[in-house]
Amino acid sequence: MTVTHPTMTETEALVVPDARNARRRHRRYLYRDGKIAYWLLLPAVVLLGIFVIWPALYAAYLSFHDWSFYKAPEFVGWRNYTNVLTDPLFWAAIGRGFVFVAMTVPPMLLLAFGFSSLVVAVARRFAGALKVSIYLPTIISTVITSIIFVVIYDYSGGLLNAFLGLFGIDPVAWLGDPKWALLAIAIPAIWLGMGLTSLIMVAAMIDIPTEYYEAAAMEGANWWQKTFFITIPQMKNIILYLLVTGFVAAIQQLDLPLVMTQGGPLDSTTLPNLFIFNHFTNDVNVGYSIAAALLLFVVLGTVSALIFRFVNSERLVD
Amino acid sequence: MAVVAQEVAAIHRRPQRTTSWWLYAVGKAVVGAIFIVASLFPLLWLVIAGFKSKTEVISTPFQFFPEVWKWENYAQILGDPTFLLTMGWTFLGAVLFTVLSLTVNSLAAYAFARLDFRFKRTLWTIVITTMFIPGMTILLTSFIVVTDLGMLDSLAVLVIPGAATAAMIFFIRQFYLSIPSSLEEAAMLDGCGRLRIFFFLFLPLSKPPFVVMGITAFLAYWNSYVWPILTITSPDKFVVQQFLATFRTGRGSSELGLLMAGSVLAAAPVIILFLIFQRQIIGNIKMAGLK
Repeated sequence: MTVTHPTMTETEALVVPDARNARRRHRRYLYRDGKIAYWLLLPAVVLLGIFVIWPALYAAYLSFHDWSFYKAPEFVGWRNYTNVLTDPLFWAAIGRGFVFVAMTVPPMLLLAFGFSSLVVAVARRFAGALKVSIYLPTIISTVITSIIFVVIYDYSGGLLNAFLGLFGIDPVAWLGDPKWALLAIAIPAIWLGMGLTSLIMVAAMIDIPTEYYEAAAMEGANWWQKTFFITIPQMKNIILYLLVTGFVAAIQQLDLPLVMTQGGPLDSTTLPNLFIFNHFTNDVNVGYSIAAALLLFVVLGTVSALIFRFVNSERLVD
Repeated sequence: MAVVAQEVAAIHRRPQRTTSWWLYAVGKAVVGAIFIVASLFPLLWLVIAGFKSKTEVISTPFQFFPEVWKWENYAQILGDPTFLLTMGWTFLGAVLFTVLSLTVNSLAAYAFARLDFRFKRTLWTIVITTMFIPGMTILLTSFIVVTDLGMLDSLAVLVIPGAATAAMIFFIRQFYLSIPSSLEEAAMLDGCGRLRIFFFLFLPLSKPPFVVMGITAFLAYWNSYVWPILTITSPDKFVVQQFLATFRTGRGSSELGLLMAGSVLAAAPVIILFLIFQRQIIGNIKMAGLK
């Protein structure tokens, strides 16, 4: 009895001689919280169902249809997708997204690494002040950030041009010049994103056992040697994690260009999500925008799911 | 061996204050100061600009400090009934949103952490999958859904759709999993049901994840911009970010000092909230980021 149903307790086995009955009972035992569990889950599942899962399925459906707010959907097969994939403007937006990632993610990681190396090396109080300061921008909204930076970037009366003027550098139209506009948006993006990246790095760096450094110090290793032979190898998984999540976040940047430049000048700040957003608000053919958004989902959703699996597999701890 | 140990102990006891030690210390202080200034300066600049007259914020020749520190901007923006109404309306929405999402998500988190029921794995997989759907993908169809439900231009459209999130369920569940089950077993022997255990055992212990997730929810609502500009069209129902963005392109484009003062006031609630709970927020970063 107990051999055929190893999970069953002995008393239950004695009471129920019939195997089928036992199995049923066992299942009832396993699912004993069923009713109450469903009631507890109901609100969350209903909300997720209506406002996340249904829209996702609906998006998948509409992406194969020619549809606008004014007419019934008409099946068009893969046409929306081919329209998107053959649109040079779409590819230009994706390319711009990659440039934006290159402008934000590596500098952010380098700065965050320097920051956390500093935090672990200074007195507790100073470290606390550093952490609070670096995190404060994280909670500021993108609209207020845009307002601040637009004023700083102003051509004739802004702080940045005035500062550069001290060194005899001619004023630059930071947001008006296609050459500079994307960089001008990358700076506030770094400012907003530094907090979380830095503090995750600090947390990881504190976790490295101090014995390693003590041993290295006894061997007479200097700071650079400790960094390259202990810190970086110990943190390579965290760095990879931050690289991937940073990539996913940066390529989806929407608010900053939307408020600061509306994608201009000459589309130089039309990042992928803004490209889709502009299409949606200006174009009656919704299928195109939805197909583009789904393509983004397939790529980014896969990337984030992979990193989530990786993180949860505890390999981060090594 | 003993000599080495002595040496190590000596190093630990008292750092040798040589010239290079001082150089190192000063270097760290300078780099630290640069990080602090870079983080705080833009906010400081906003505050300074809030005291400037309308021509001083962007003026040629450039002017760092205002000629006269003007409190009038603050008086004027606080005297604007629309601004006050918007702030109050957004605050109300943010509180409702926070309460609703904590309730809905913690109930689900408890069920996933502690209860046994049929289709648990399937439901869990579905919930977790929603975490990987980028906002942009469902933005358009969510808009269609709320239009069909007749929710446009109401507080409900801001509060309800985003209340349930897989990330929050995941975070709170993770916390509940770490609560030792011996506590519950004792309660169950005393005849407590599952619901009672949740309300009298889990909820009182939930303060740490609730503080972190509550602030996350409040911030998400207070700072949201894209969803409100799609769904809210009446100016008297605007949220604060929407108000600022509209004000910036309208009246504020000439009255910059006023815009700056308004931005300071709009950022103040979340900054105060952060400063009150900074220890919890910063202490939980690792948990939030990696679990």
